Amino acid sequence: MGRTVSKAKTNHPAARARNAKFQADLAPAEDRAVRTLKEDLQLRSNTDFLTDAVALFRWAVSERRQGNRIVSETVNGERKVLLFPRLERVAPGMDLPRIEIPWTERELASLAELLAGEPQPPTELLRRALRD
Amino acid sequence: MAIVVRRLEESDETGNFDCGDTPLNNYLRNHAWANQAKSSLGVTYVAADDRASRAILGYFTLAMSSAPRQLFPGKYVRGLPPYDLPLILLARLAVDRRFAGKGVGHALISEAFRVSLRVSAEVGCRCLVTDAYAERMGWYARYGFLPIEGASVGGPQRMFLDIRTIRKALSPS
Repeated sequence: MGRTVSKAKTNHPAARARNAKFQADLAPAEDRAVRTLKEDLQLRSNTDFLTDAVALFRWAVSERRQGNRIVSETVNGERKVLLFPRLERVAPGMDLPRIEIPWTERELASLAELLAGEPQPPTELLRRALRD
Repeated sequence: MAIVVRRLEESDETGNFDCGDTPLNNYLRNHAWANQAKSSLGVTYVAADDRASRAILGYFTLAMSSAPRQLFPGKYVRGLPPYDLPLILLARLAVDRRFAGKGVGHALISEAFRVSLRVSAEVGCRCLVTDAYAERMGWYARYGFLPIEGASVGGPQRMFLDIRTIRKALSPS
């Protein structure tokens, strides 16, 4: 007698959620680094690797967002502070102090005219600055 | 060399910084930290080599400022809110001459743009303004800064970049 497998349909949102697929192009050196890390950490799959990497990254972002610095310390007490440019982008301190600057009448007229116009299209170098 | 741009810290080695301009050197060496930590007159961001992270390769200083709306010519006032126009002042930007030509200036101004975008999202501001030395105007113009007319003869040239232009640079061309 054959076995019948019925596929139960569910409308529960969690049941409908699909795992996202992640694909990355890695240079050979990066690929080797990933393989070595997986071996060192005894991670079997890329999914496990990515999950742990995301967990570590989330922790680092959370620490830096709170203003905490991430430090490594040797057995001799020598300390190194982690400096990672992208992490600095979430560090607090967006509050800029306010200062007064002098304006001539002519400068204000020129500024008002610039502000009244349509914004200039970004230059290629400006685009590159925000891409880098 | 990997360049990291971050806020100035008290332990940074500023004493050897030399951009070839005495006022800019003195500002970093003697005033930047006090202005940031004590007087709230400006926040300084520094470029450092991640292998020698206390030595400073270059810096810039930002502050909020404003332009008095009531002094704008009447024809431009219409449509503007009844208060002074908030803006970000890029007060100083300098690169140590031993590291000139290595992309430090580009890294610094890139971060200044990113900070400006974040500030404009947090507190609102309309433009980025800087006072450029005459010989550096071309450098700023390549990023889209426009000259504001009316600078005093022989003094620095005030330049303007609309925040909307910076924001547009984030979108695909």
